[in-house]
Amino acid sequence: MAYNWNWGVFLQPTATGDDSTYLDWMFHGLQMTIGLSLSAWLIALLLGAVVGVLRTVPNRWLSGVATAYVEFFRNIPLLVQLFLWYFVMPELLPENLGNAFKQTNPIVQQFLSSMICLALFTSARVAEQVRSGINSLPPGQKNAGLALGFTLSQTYRHVMLPMAVRLIVPPLTSEFLNIFKNSAVCSTIGLLELAAQGRQLVDYTAQPYESFIAVTVAYLLLNVVVMSGMRWVEAHVRVPGYIGGK
Amino acid sequence: MISMNKVSKHYGSFQVLADCTTQVQKGEVIVVCGPSGSGKSTLIKCVNGLEPFQSGEIIVNGVSVGDPKTNLSKLRSTVGMVFQNFELFPHMRIIDNLAIAQVKVLGRNPEQAREKGFKLLDRVGLRVQAEKYPGQLSGGQQQRVAIARALSMDPICMLFDEPTSALDPEMINEVLDVMTELAQEGMTMMCVTHEMGFARRVAHRVIFMDQGRIVEDDSKEAFFGNPRSERAQQFLAKILHH
Amino acid sequence: MHEFDWSSIPNALPFLWDGMLISLEITLSAVVFGIVWGTLLALMRLSSITPLSWFAAGYVNLFRAVPLVMVLLWFFLIVPHLLESLFGLPRGTDMRLTSAIAGFALFEAAYYSEIIRAGIQSVPKGQMAAASALGMTYGQAMRLVVLPQAFRNMVPLLLTQGIILFQDTSLVYVSALADFFGAAYKVGDRDGRLVELLLFAGAVYFVLCFAASRVVRHYQNKMKTA
Repeated sequence: MAYNWNWGVFLQPTATGDDSTYLDWMFHGLQMTIGLSLSAWLIALLLGAVVGVLRTVPNRWLSGVATAYVEFFRNIPLLVQLFLWYFVMPELLPENLGNAFKQTNPIVQQFLSSMICLALFTSARVAEQVRSGINSLPPGQKNAGLALGFTLSQTYRHVMLPMAVRLIVPPLTSEFLNIFKNSAVCSTIGLLELAAQGRQLVDYTAQPYESFIAVTVAYLLLNVVVMSGMRWVEAHVRVPGYIGGK
Repeated sequence: MISMNKVSKHYGSFQVLADCTTQVQKGEVIVVCGPSGSGKSTLIKCVNGLEPFQSGEIIVNGVSVGDPKTNLSKLRSTVGMVFQNFELFPHMRIIDNLAIAQVKVLGRNPEQAREKGFKLLDRVGLRVQAEKYPGQLSGGQQQRVAIARALSMDPICMLFDEPTSALDPEMINEVLDVMTELAQEGMTMMCVTHEMGFARRVAHRVIFMDQGRIVEDDSKEAFFGNPRSERAQQFLAKILHH
Repeated sequence: MHEFDWSSIPNALPFLWDGMLISLEITLSAVVFGIVWGTLLALMRLSSITPLSWFAAGYVNLFRAVPLVMVLLWFFLIVPHLLESLFGLPRGTDMRLTSAIAGFALFEAAYYSEIIRAGIQSVPKGQMAAASALGMTYGQAMRLVVLPQAFRNMVPLLLTQGIILFQDTSLVYVSALADFFGAAYKVGDRDGRLVELLLFAGAVYFVLCFAASRVVRHYQNKMKTA
């Protein structure tokens, strides 16, 4: 087989004549992946914490709603959810709102749909971690909080959540990594994130190996950065003298 | 101070408490004992509403615990409780464990709360540990902190739920000493414990429970002198031969 | 507000069913190959032969760090060309289904191997010692004593991973292969009824996955009480 390796291709100006190199394209893709993943992650953490807490409260109605939320987002493929947000949601909105959405910049449409989709999908998984974190606390902790005169919500805020959150840092790390990987699905609606730029590079440069290897390495690097960041977090929230759950 | 009238509780068909009736006067020290599963822990948790009950009535300082209109958080802030497994908050320093409820529940200012916390740590002999985390203390030390934490709320009475049964034998006395001192100062106390030496030293009355019922409710002298029920006699014999 | 018209679904059912068969075919083959290859990887990872355990660790970490979409793109855009030039196949041979199955199997094996490794490590060390004391070789002890116990504990996790895999098969969309989701999208696009078809596809996935996860949970509870 005669394949001409040419790593220099990344420094060449692109065929579109927009005064950028293929390396710039990759860099833009990386920026999009990071921006999308981080914004979706913040929403997912907040929503997930709320839903996870609701699953543990002694109120059938509230915990039922929270359970339904989690089951809904866990049992539909991410790609289908993304298409539902991007193609279906604007049609189901009230007409003026739907039209307003459809008239915005397509990049904004793609980004918003992707962000909402990833955020809600991930929030259901975060909620499961939060719930299992709370459930793994010794049951006496809740009683101790209540016995001091804390209300239930104060007990959650000051006693149970601070500990539960520390316990679930490792599984949250893997959800955080997942959101970066899952963001690649958003290339299917045309969002130019890292994977989509990789495909575009193949088309434009005719150097498929270099393009895909570069993109794959970029994902590996992202992975390493996120993991070391979370390890730092883990070390800094560690409670002195505390040795694990029940 | 505490009065219970025909308190009953069941899980499904399993009777946990059956018609429990008793009174605790101000300044009285009551020891509750009985075999495991006799309902003694459940009974004491009903006093501050940590365990709901289906029928009967509990009045603490004039407030009905079972009444849905009662502000349970407010009631609990006046009743101190000490748990079998200490239940200090592991993510807070010792001094913050003592201060947080004073600030968030009683609305004291943080400086005063810490001041009070230090005083109480002094009292249980642990001032030097104030800046440590619970996991860095021994079990006996943690339980003394837990007692100090309950006292920081200026409770009108104290509930102890097997405060020494999770401790290594050599640490039991340091905790009992703190409790004895409290009793001698006139604190109203209800203690679930198997420490019969403690009961002999400081209790005014002893309640013996079996299968969810209060079987004996006697002065200390009467209980240790000659318990009327056979179950209590067997129980005492086992404990003493321990 | 959108006016719903579901009429294109009944006629499309046979086509959608064919798509579902492709989804199931990919899922099942990938589960089987994934578990076999995953078990081998787990054994390599736990073996005392350093190159083997390094290879397994590298493989697993690589596949777990890369998005599935990227892996599938490799398998649709790059691997077929590689194979064509390696084996002199005629250009343009349709290898999409084979590529999809290979891609999923190699990708999922990384995840399966982690589940299986944890399962093997959860079997008490004394079991291996007891088997060796009876004169079994390492291979016999693994095959007859350790792995059967490990798999019994892992069944719920392996099944749950299978449900996730079934959901992930929708990603073959990137190769325009007509799996269930691809078929639904094509019908919706053709008839201008994308909204209805996407809602229908979502509902079908939900019902199937929800039911399957209930079955797994039921099995899990039964195992706990047994």
